[in-house]
Amino acid sequence: MIWDLWKKAFYAWEDTTAKYLETWMKSPLLLGPSGLMLGGAMKAKAAYDKAASNWVGNLGLATKRDQERALHVLNQLESRMIDLEERLAELKRKDDGRT
Amino acid sequence: MKRLKNLASLLTRPRPPVGTTPADVVHRENKWRLLRYRPDPGRAQKLQTPVLLVPSLINRHYVMDLLPGKSMAQDLVAAGHDVYCIDWGTPGDEDRFVDFDEVCDRYLGRAIRHVARTSPRNKTHVLGYCLGGTLATIHTAARPEHVASLFLLAAPVSFTDEGALAAWTRSPQFNVGSIVQGFGNVPWQLMQSAFHMLRPTLTMAKAVGVIDRAANDEFLDGFLALETWGNDNVAFPGECYRQYIEQLYRGDALMQGTFSLSGIPARLENIECPVTSVVFEHDNIVPWQSAAALVDRVSSKDKVLLKLPGGHVGAVVSKAAQKNLWPKMSAFWAERDDAAPEPKRAPPPAPSAPRQKRPARAAKPSRPKSKASATG
Repeated sequence: MIWDLWKKAFYAWEDTTAKYLETWMKSPLLLGPSGLMLGGAMKAKAAYDKAASNWVGNLGLATKRDQERALHVLNQLESRMIDLEERLAELKRKDDGRT
Repeated sequence: MKRLKNLASLLTRPRPPVGTTPADVVHRENKWRLLRYRPDPGRAQKLQTPVLLVPSLINRHYVMDLLPGKSMAQDLVAAGHDVYCIDWGTPGDEDRFVDFDEVCDRYLGRAIRHVARTSPRNKTHVLGYCLGGTLATIHTAARPEHVASLFLLAAPVSFTDEGALAAWTRSPQFNVGSIVQGFGNVPWQLMQSAFHMLRPTLTMAKAVGVIDRAANDEFLDGFLALETWGNDNVAFPGECYRQYIEQLYRGDALMQGTFSLSGIPARLENIECPVTSVVFEHDNIVPWQSAAALVDRVSSKDKVLLKLPGGHVGAVVSKAAQKNLWPKMSAFWAERDDAAPEPKRAPPPAPSAPRQKRPARAAKPSRPKSKASATG
């Protein structure tokens, strides 16, 4: 009985608090500074990564970004080959249907 | 007494097995896989047109196959459907360059064609959940030829709502370019903390719910399975995320009719197949208005909007969903199983056909793409 009453009160509080916090979460007063902070941190991280990458690149080694690009191109090549296989299989099916 | 015992053993309680319905991998490409759930050997497959489940890009696919006896995939297989599901996998660092066209046209298109080929109609029913539904909608709008019907669960198409996610992404201080530049793929932790902030009190409410129902072992297993899934997320491929935010959230390109997929306009009016859009009244991740907007825009004559009580996840995997929603899905597909083949019309070129701009993007992936070229 006490538990049920407490639960009822808790859910009422939870609902009201959630609604209140939601209005805050959408407020430009909160969104502006947090967006700027996140953007600033990301820019700093990108600048650090670029400096580290330049250093590695100057040693004549492949940077992380180079390796990522190469792997991505390999993935795309694999994808194009599957495209071709699919087209060939389609042509074969059409050919089999004709004969 | 049992409640106390169960609560005390919550940390040591064995995690329930998730995603256990037997499935075979029928296609694999980059990180994604296409799974086919094995038909029940004791029962004949009753329906001709297969079903493809498209989960969200940032969640694991096993939400559709949560627990034995509480699995959407298992129930559909038992109902006689030939069920396939996409497992998007975990993107690697190199997948920061994977863009929307690649995911929504090349990968999803391949899965749809693969599944459709197993059907005499050369079509498949498509079920999309959350972002998976948005992907399925866009794909169908651009390339409708192999889609027999669309069944969407909380799939956002309109992004002008007053929800918190839309407000955050529309904020001028939210610099999506620098996030992608800094992180590469957008980490799941960042997205999850954003989802937590949508309702910061939810964790407490969940704790009270668990204390209240701790004596129920079945509830606890379901809760732990859902928590396992909820904390097992994947990063969003960077370039794809940038396009998603800039074009869909900020530009509302789907509703404006300006979105294009691999250069083909993806207009919602192009969708003519049967469509059911299920929206959830208390969904704070995808406000119901955002998903419901689709039904008014498609040209389909056979279209239904279902507004159900519940939240974004619970309403899809709960016991109530098993009793009401899943049978509705099965009935929807069963009724449209033997639809007469539609008159043929010239399909747009497949992604395998030569295209003009893509090699340049692979060579210089970090070059920002102009909005004009992105939206066609």
